[in-house]
Amino acid sequence: MPDCNVNFEAEIEEGQNKRSVKCKFCSSVILTPATAAIMNVEHSLPLIRQTKTTEENPDTETTSVFWAVKDMFTFQNVGFSNTVGNTKYLTCADCEAGPIGFHDIPTKMSFVALSRVSHGDPI
Amino acid sequence: MAKKTYDLLFKLLLIGDSGVGKTCILFRFSDDAFTTTFISTIGIDFKIKTIELRGKKIKLQIWDTAGQERFHTITTSYYRGAMGIMLVYDITNEKSFENIVKWLRNIDEHANEDVEKMILGNKCDMDDKRTVSMERGELIAKEHSIRFMETSAKSNINIERAFRELADAILYKTAGREPGDNVDRVMVDRKPTSSSTKSCCNH
Repeated sequence: MPDCNVNFEAEIEEGQNKRSVKCKFCSSVILTPATAAIMNVEHSLPLIRQTKTTEENPDTETTSVFWAVKDMFTFQNVGFSNTVGNTKYLTCADCEAGPIGFHDIPTKMSFVALSRVSHGDPI
Repeated sequence: MAKKTYDLLFKLLLIGDSGVGKTCILFRFSDDAFTTTFISTIGIDFKIKTIELRGKKIKLQIWDTAGQERFHTITTSYYRGAMGIMLVYDITNEKSFENIVKWLRNIDEHANEDVEKMILGNKCDMDDKRTVSMERGELIAKEHSIRFMETSAKSNINIERAFRELADAILYKTAGREPGDNVDRVMVDRKPTSSSTKSCCNH
């Protein structure tokens, strides 16, 4: 399934995230406002919910709208998975829902998929 | 995007025998786990958490040993840059407690000499299976002038507090080392007050 065409425009201000980026499941704050840049790149991400039979060959979806983060310590709270190829997958640091995005080891850039997180004001 | 969003960065490690619940501590730093098949299959390497202490925004980067401890040697590279170490044993496992001394030696050999340490007696929710009394934990910690706390990753008892206290101890040290301050300060008996540690697991 492609990204849901929800209105992401409202979340962007001067190319950055206008509001906090939070976990969809537990509301843990992943990024504080104005710390990540909007970026359109096509990348396939394993689905958050998988059926048991697909553990070795996970179901994926193509995701194309991301919050790009240059320095991993910009994140407020986040988990990094073990390495798979050139990638580490990102998870919520609190409830571990994920992947919410990926970290590209060669460029050290991290990308959070807008469709995998929620946006809102800090608690 | 270039502006720094934090004041300090502390690298913390979790160390101890296999099966004492280190991974659970990292995985359950707070809130309930929503474990997904994909993520639990590949496993989590480290987490970044932001806390505020004394008005400072502190990033914690918390690492698990990822099974290296099975060989009873943790490589120097794992210790590199570590500012704080959580030394974990299981209160229902005598051997894991005895090995704390070995781990302390390992830390002395490989880690930075002023690394801040804290001993955690984990699984304190399993009091019926306890083989290591809290007093013994307190004693060994006192002997080595290290903080001590009993925790339960499963019941989320004292986990967040343990991390905050370890971070606070590092902050205290860091602050003490500002230019001009050249005191050879040894931290003894700065363990948490007994009343607060005993709030956990006293059935």
